[in-house]
Amino acid sequence: MALIVDELVFRFPGAPAPVLNGCTFAIGGGERVAILAPNGAGKTTLARWMAGLLPDGGFLNAERGGVRIGGLPATSFTASQRAVAVQFVGQVPAQQMSGAAFTVYEELAFGPCNLALPRAEVRERVDRALAMCNLEHLAGRDPFSLSGGEQQRVSIASALAMRPSILVLDEPTSNLDPESRDALIAHLRALPDDMTLIVLEVALRPSLAFAERFLLLDGGAIVADGTADDVMRHPRCVALLGTTAIRAAAAQIRDAGKWPAALRLPLLVDDGRVAFREAADALG
Amino acid sequence: MDRQRAQAARTLLFVTAAGPLHALNPLTKLMAFLWTVSAAIVLPPTLTLALVVAGVVLAYVAGVGGVVPAKLVATIVPLAAALALMHGFLIVRPDEVPLGPLHVSPAGFRYAYSVVARIAAMLTASLLFVTTTHPGDVLASLDAAGVSPAVGYLIASPLLLLEPFSKRTRAIRDAQRARGMNLTGTWKARVRALPALLVPLVTLALSDLDHRAMVLESRAFGGEKRRTVLDAPPDSRGQSRFRRIVGALAVVQLAVPLLWH
Repeated sequence: MALIVDELVFRFPGAPAPVLNGCTFAIGGGERVAILAPNGAGKTTLARWMAGLLPDGGFLNAERGGVRIGGLPATSFTASQRAVAVQFVGQVPAQQMSGAAFTVYEELAFGPCNLALPRAEVRERVDRALAMCNLEHLAGRDPFSLSGGEQQRVSIASALAMRPSILVLDEPTSNLDPESRDALIAHLRALPDDMTLIVLEVALRPSLAFAERFLLLDGGAIVADGTADDVMRHPRCVALLGTTAIRAAAAQIRDAGKWPAALRLPLLVDDGRVAFREAADALG
Repeated sequence: MDRQRAQAARTLLFVTAAGPLHALNPLTKLMAFLWTVSAAIVLPPTLTLALVVAGVVLAYVAGVGGVVPAKLVATIVPLAAALALMHGFLIVRPDEVPLGPLHVSPAGFRYAYSVVARIAAMLTASLLFVTTTHPGDVLASLDAAGVSPAVGYLIASPLLLLEPFSKRTRAIRDAQRARGMNLTGTWKARVRALPALLVPLVTLALSDLDHRAMVLESRAFGGEKRRTVLDAPPDSRGQSRFRRIVGALAVVQLAVPLLWH
């Protein structure tokens, strides 16, 4: 399912400047996209717009433009239609819990149950989402008793259990240790091909493993759109994302001719370790 | 699902046991509780006290005898003492008789006794309900009965969000202490510190509400008229009939004295 953000201008009530200022891009069905921007650049606001959670029918409305999901205005969807079309996982794990479930299993089943799906299908979806996010051993636990990283996986699994066409993740790796981060990235890589994945991140590195397209958000608008290299070459990239070290390291590895063919950049802990060791050896 | 493990981390009163009350449908117990509340209002104090005794016996039969009487006593004794003091000694009544420096009113004591008996009966019934019924089962039975999901959420969410709210409170307290706020000194110092604790707590609770609303919306909460119920508590035609009879009785026994007078 395609998603189009069209000339979106949005300002919080009373704010001197808009958070999103003519933001425009289109994402095709099944694409893996990373939207990169530093803290406070409007990533979460953009994510809420893409997820159809804004406008909120109250004070928060666009000054201009809007979002279309599958060719239709996001505002034209019913709650159930929107939930199946697009799922959003925010960055504060404890705030992503429904508050209506006593166990992780119930938390994952909450959404599918709201869709009034047959029991067997609810169970199948929950079991699959638990397996995808390595949560089987936590199925009986209280969601609020889990660590931040575990809660993050629960909230992503809850979104996956809805089987959405588009999955929007706001800084999904921010609360994870390196091992959990790698595991999550592996899960994101294994998502169904027809699911559109949009990840909003403050750094380039975590999204390199699964994203094939990168957008740089600056001043409320998209200023770069292309491959990781395209974004890294953008004059504002270092200022916004602070990728000097990555760029330098990548350049060294590339210059040494040790860049592994299957690797776009050192990303996963083990891959990165091997690549950097090889580069160090090559450089003497 | 293993609710036992989830319950271990919570401040719920639910006690895992295999007693006869645990096996009943939560709505049946809820209706019995409502009948008890109604009966406690209309029955004379002695019969109301009999309800309390019956409730305590039932607690032992149901396997929650270790919790219900203790909670009942801990709540009702201070209340009884306060009511007896107020109505027996402090409130001036026509029948008061001098007792040393004090004035004692037998009618005041009788009134305090009747109030305490009523509250004790209601409290016993509510304790029996919460110790033998997991809130998750109440939610499931409400869903199965076709009650609006919003009603179930209103019942469950305060219980569910108690734990994160307590965690948040502790985090704010620790943060303010780390900034040098004195929260352990005299009561004056503690009162002065209250705004610094309450303001962030309320602000963050409001922010949580916003996020929670978004999560509910994105999970299609209220999107369909009825939700799928995964593990509906067992029910029977007999229990359904019992609920109707007890519900009607609760209304009638309240209405008749009102109309009679």
